[in-house]
Amino acid sequence: MIGSLTRAFDSLFGRGEAAVTVPPLDGALRPNRALDEATVRIALPEVDCLAVHSGGLVASAGDAIHVLTGDGTWTRRRSYGSPVACIASVGTDALAVALDSGYVLIEGGRFDGRRYRVDSAVSCITAMGFADGMLYVANGSATGTVRDWQRDLLERNSTGSIWRIDLEAGTAGRMADGLAWPAGIAIDPGGLVVSEAWRHRLVRIDLSGKARPVVLLGDLPGYPGRLSPAAGGYWLSVFAPRSQLVELVLREPAYRKRMIAEVPRDYWVAPKLRSGRSYYEPLQGGGVKHLGMLKPWAPTMSFGMGVWLDPGFRARFSLQSRADGGTHGVTSVIEHEGSAVAAARGDGVVVRLPAKGGEA
Amino acid sequence: MSPIVEVCNATKEYRGVPAVKDVSFDLRRGEVHALLGENGAGKSTLTKMIAGVVEPTAGEIWIDGARVEMSTPSEALRRGIAMVYQETSLVPSLTVAQNIYLTDAQRFHRLRGIYIAGQQFLQSLNFHVDPTAMVSALGAGQKQMVEIARAVHHNAQVIIFDEPTATLTPEEKHQFFSLVERLKQRGVSIIFISHALEEALAIADRITVMRDGQHVVTDVASAFDREKIVRAMVGRSLSNELYGSQQGRRIRDAGDKVLSVQNLSMGNVVRNTSFSLFAGQITGVFGLIGSGRTETAKVVAGVLKRDMFHGGQVRLDGRSVRYRVPRPAVRDGIIYVTEDRKVEGFFETMSIAENIHLGALAGGRTKSSTVSMTEMRRIAQEWITALNVKAINADARVIELSGGNQQKIVVAKALVQKPRLIIFDEPTRGVDVGAIAEIHQLINKLADDGIAVMVISSYLPEVLQLSDRILVCRQGRIVEEFDGHKADEETIMYAAVH
Repeated sequence: MIGSLTRAFDSLFGRGEAAVTVPPLDGALRPNRALDEATVRIALPEVDCLAVHSGGLVASAGDAIHVLTGDGTWTRRRSYGSPVACIASVGTDALAVALDSGYVLIEGGRFDGRRYRVDSAVSCITAMGFADGMLYVANGSATGTVRDWQRDLLERNSTGSIWRIDLEAGTAGRMADGLAWPAGIAIDPGGLVVSEAWRHRLVRIDLSGKARPVVLLGDLPGYPGRLSPAAGGYWLSVFAPRSQLVELVLREPAYRKRMIAEVPRDYWVAPKLRSGRSYYEPLQGGGVKHLGMLKPWAPTMSFGMGVWLDPGFRARFSLQSRADGGTHGVTSVIEHEGSAVAAARGDGVVVRLPAKGGEA
Repeated sequence: MSPIVEVCNATKEYRGVPAVKDVSFDLRRGEVHALLGENGAGKSTLTKMIAGVVEPTAGEIWIDGARVEMSTPSEALRRGIAMVYQETSLVPSLTVAQNIYLTDAQRFHRLRGIYIAGQQFLQSLNFHVDPTAMVSALGAGQKQMVEIARAVHHNAQVIIFDEPTATLTPEEKHQFFSLVERLKQRGVSIIFISHALEEALAIADRITVMRDGQHVVTDVASAFDREKIVRAMVGRSLSNELYGSQQGRRIRDAGDKVLSVQNLSMGNVVRNTSFSLFAGQITGVFGLIGSGRTETAKVVAGVLKRDMFHGGQVRLDGRSVRYRVPRPAVRDGIIYVTEDRKVEGFFETMSIAENIHLGALAGGRTKSSTVSMTEMRRIAQEWITALNVKAINADARVIELSGGNQQKIVVAKALVQKPRLIIFDEPTRGVDVGAIAEIHQLINKLADDGIAVMVISSYLPEVLQLSDRILVCRQGRIVEEFDGHKADEETIMYAAVH
């Protein structure tokens, strides 16, 4: 009763849970243009996930895996007939490839050619991580596929789960569920760290699956995605920004329901991997453009961000592409040969820059 | 053209500390003269000497070719000099006409008479203000008009405006500038103090820049541009000698995010501001007076309330908090150390021990319902030793201490509450040089101990010397962030002025 009254009161005054606010981009997340200023930019339409396989850089794009050749171009290595949901290194010589259909294939190494089905309900694999013979799999949602991520956010689902596959035995088990779009996995000595996108946080999940998740980094100004180990820390990709407009819409169920039913997906009031390409999109007013030029500080539905985290998962610095930039929708950042490599799915480009982002 | 006001080698000292040092200044008839400088540059002190509010310690003031010694503002007004303060000096419970004629020598006014006279007088100035309206019901721009009308009514030949446009809307600013133009045409000379450089460049005939209480440059406005003014305002060497250079200074890494302020609003003073504070780091906040930095800090600490509707959010350790009074904020470990220590910082008639004990009580650190005087004195003595307070003993009254030691007591009162986040507002204002170094050392130690520290200061070298990261506040919001070791005075000042 008191809870209902509090909610009604908060809703009227815009307080508490009804406060339509977003955390600022400051401290380690201070706005910069590092991603746009990267000198090495290699186009790869639909690029999504990056991994290192046998020392080389591989990327998933569409239904295929591409390899970066010595002359700095992408070569298609293999097509799968089904969109590739994500890829991950399995040791140094093998690669795990998750398909939209829910299957996980292993290429190379001891388990070469093996094919795993996590569970019949798993068809939205967003990220994978490997340690000690176990492959950890994040299933973003129990109700859709990876392509339905905006709908999953707007429906305010929290049906994601984490699974563990014993590659040797071929068995799989669920470690955690009730997660709001788990989109990244990192394994450290303390257990499993998962980025929970719709709750804007990183949580540690006990490997035994008994303890409650512990928040390591919360209240992020964007939706955190894939995690990858780096020298002395981790890279976190933040695939879309939070905005006050989206936060407002997320508090209006009737509006969202009608919007999803009646408005084409491209014009939803929702975060995007790339926005600003059509004047039908929301946020096209004078606060966004001046004399036809997009303001870098304008409120935006898409941006580019990779965050370097220290071993305690605290943000130390970030690589960004602002509202007017050309490296939006960063879905994966990894470290390769001493450089940071970021895949910007929104703009279909892979950029390479110094691992410390120009920091001393 | 002969100057109407001439200040020759004027110095003003407060307790031996010079606020204005050997400054010469002249104001010509019918000119608009902009007086620019950082906070604490000595602009207000100089103009207060001209307006008879303070008397110079040394030097001469000449008005209309005659040397004068004025000790009260009414004396200056008789000589045709009026000052319009940023905070208006009108009586809010009186009408416009009553305020205009308030200081007239006549003992009784016929109300109808002053309303008719007021109407005619305001119309002659082309001011659209109802003379029968209560001043409390007027907007900032209209209040300014009444102030000006009062000055003109007293036949002021010199009007000094202290930050006249800070609280005005764009429309009101436009009105104000046309008013300045009209006053100029009537032969009135104007001194215009402002932080808005573009406005000064637009309306001033001549510009004088002051820094650290000294005159830096005076020239015609066309000889200046924004960059040149900013350079003149901040290019100090004295401060570098005092505070040292920040080059090579160790910058602390940010710890966990302790406080996240999101889209905070309070009237038109704090406007949709957002920033974060991290454990183990000193976050410096620089902004000019009126930029909303103090009000933002006070909302965080529960001293002021944010807007009732959609006032934003303050998150402490990821938890949304809303303080209506400071007490729960103090219990949560948020301490605000005020900029106005004499009014808000301590009880001046109480002893050091009693003041520090009150801090402990406020923080809920004392569970006992009775006060042990021995325990109280013991705690006070510990802090006196730790902070090197120069006092006879813990029973000395705080009012008897010097500014620096008073500030240390205010800090002790805050620290006894065991803060997780401490906000220092102008921590070294009115503090001697020796105590400044000690207070800086203390602030650094707090950050080293893992406490989130926010330091609000108008003094750039202090911000640069202390801060691991620097936020710049302008017009009620945080507009820029700099790394502590990479920022320089010019860049910060450029971000702070509008």
